[in-house]
Amino acid sequence: MSGTALRETAPRERRPAVGAAGYAVARGRGASFLLHRRSALVAAVLTAALLGACLASLCLGTSAVSPGAALRAAFGLDSSAEFVVGTLRLPRMTLGLLVGAALGVAGALIQSVARNPLASPDIIGVTHGAAALTVGAMTYGAVSTAVLPYWSVAGGLAAAGLVYVFAWRGGLHAARFVLIGIGFAIALRSVTQLFLTKGDYQVAQQATVWMTGSLNGRGNAEAEPLAIGLLLLLPAVVWAARAQRSVVLDDDTATALGIRLARTRLGLATVGVLLAALATGAAGPVDFVALLAPQIARRLTGTAQIPLVCSALTGAFITVLADVAARTLFSPTELPVGVVTAAVGAPYLLWLIVANRTGGRA
Amino acid sequence: MSHRLGARGLVLGYDEAHPVVDGLDLEIPDGQVTVIVGPNACGKSTTLRALGRLLKPRGGAVLLDGQELARIPTRRIAQAIGLLPQSPVAPEAITVVDLVSRGRQPHQRWWQQWSEADERAVTEAMARTDVTSLADRPVDALSGGQRQRVWIAMALAQDTDLLLLDEPTTFLDIAHQVDVLNLVRRMERTVVTVLHDLNQAARYADFLVAMKDGRIVARGRPDEVVTAGLVREVFGLEAVVVPDPVTGSPLVVPGAPVPHPKSAPGTARDTAREKATPT
Repeated sequence: MSGTALRETAPRERRPAVGAAGYAVARGRGASFLLHRRSALVAAVLTAALLGACLASLCLGTSAVSPGAALRAAFGLDSSAEFVVGTLRLPRMTLGLLVGAALGVAGALIQSVARNPLASPDIIGVTHGAAALTVGAMTYGAVSTAVLPYWSVAGGLAAAGLVYVFAWRGGLHAARFVLIGIGFAIALRSVTQLFLTKGDYQVAQQATVWMTGSLNGRGNAEAEPLAIGLLLLLPAVVWAARAQRSVVLDDDTATALGIRLARTRLGLATVGVLLAALATGAAGPVDFVALLAPQIARRLTGTAQIPLVCSALTGAFITVLADVAARTLFSPTELPVGVVTAAVGAPYLLWLIVANRTGGRA
Repeated sequence: MSHRLGARGLVLGYDEAHPVVDGLDLEIPDGQVTVIVGPNACGKSTTLRALGRLLKPRGGAVLLDGQELARIPTRRIAQAIGLLPQSPVAPEAITVVDLVSRGRQPHQRWWQQWSEADERAVTEAMARTDVTSLADRPVDALSGGQRQRVWIAMALAQDTDLLLLDEPTTFLDIAHQVDVLNLVRRMERTVVTVLHDLNQAARYADFLVAMKDGRIVARGRPDEVVTAGLVREVFGLEAVVVPDPVTGSPLVVPGAPVPHPKSAPGTARDTAREKATPT
């Protein structure tokens, strides 16, 4: 890094720039900002990969479109591929992008707060709560897609609240929290099944597809409320990105450093639950993205805390790419994207558990 | 101006019926090293935790500059009091410099993420604790002694007038214990620390506080406080107190070990005992 604003923290000959090794520092007028160089690089690479996946999503399918034509159609410059790209693929890709990013950040926040890579919203019952209430709403009449996100958010928050209350015993122990969450996930899944059997045939079929987490036949109608929700949550996510730094420390150390730990944790978890529930409301429970993306991102950046921006990018990349695979692998049969993410995520989950048991760190 | 820490009528405990500390009054002397000693479960660590607001008093109050700790925003406390817990856990994969930098948290805002003061404090803290050469190493990979120096560096980087250390020498071998204690003496700030070893306490303390059953039994300069009578009263141990051959501070020498039933007479140890036993 060169230039006047971005510079090395201290001249090398005087003393080593130990204070901010690996960071670029910008200072001026009493303000100072840090940028982790490797994270910035990883974010750039992930963005490029994501753009590639998006382009693939626009081009590939039952009728292939050349990249040039796809881009022209996407920006409304070419009417020949207008229907396939503009009407079918672009809205679907946008939805996948938003859902993946939301799940990536949600997973990052909840895993950070619980200090456990297993404590992801798709493991501890948050997305299951969202699904149960949404399917319930479908079954009992509120089938308007415009209303479903509210039910998802309510379901996600309720499930998270229940898990929290049951896991609380004078303190929050990560392992107990995860186990109780898994218990609730199973219970909520059966609640969803119960709603399905109660509902009439058509609703049940619609709900079943929704439940595997599918982007098929979805697009702007679902993407719009999600985009609005994400936009509203953006300030909270910006706050979370910094607040999240402190929850990696143990309780005593964090308190000694003047961090209001309980408040910070509650805030971070709430933002995470809202994001996961919003994403679930839009696409159904797309499993394992929230579990995988943050851990991949953290391994790429090598930071102590899970990087939020890179988690979002990784989540979006996984989801868009998984949807391309879901559409094309067994063409003309389409798989729900949730099946593909589960096929990738399940082995990872097994590895995580085995690695934990043998004392290795996950 | 330096901050003053004290406690008034402090009652601490984990349940109502059995207070661990009952009615403790304490003034921490400015610019000195205060060491709290006492037998296991006497409430010394509990007291230290309360002084650092990790534990809420059940009665009485901890006072910072005359103001009740519970009424001061935690961030402002963190600018005055640094605290190193007994067994802090480093986040996985964190590097030394990153961990030490976390000590600057109470001085930072979202628009002040890395000021020149931050940088100065971290660089100096690492130099003082001799961990500069370890800056980019992951904390997980360090030895116990190195890790403890890194944690102390973090507490130093916080740049507070007061520093509380909860048994900073536990799990360290004797060379690293001396290392850490010398570091404590060189800190040029008000330090309160809990130590297990009475002799180390007598050597390194300016002000010694001896606790038993949640009460302070004695306090003052080590040479005034540490006597055979005190050791008997606080630890229930018969011992001889002699001047330390190096420092002149009181040195507690416990009574001779009981003879092993199978040890043959005439060994070096028995000879020594015969010499020491008055006839």
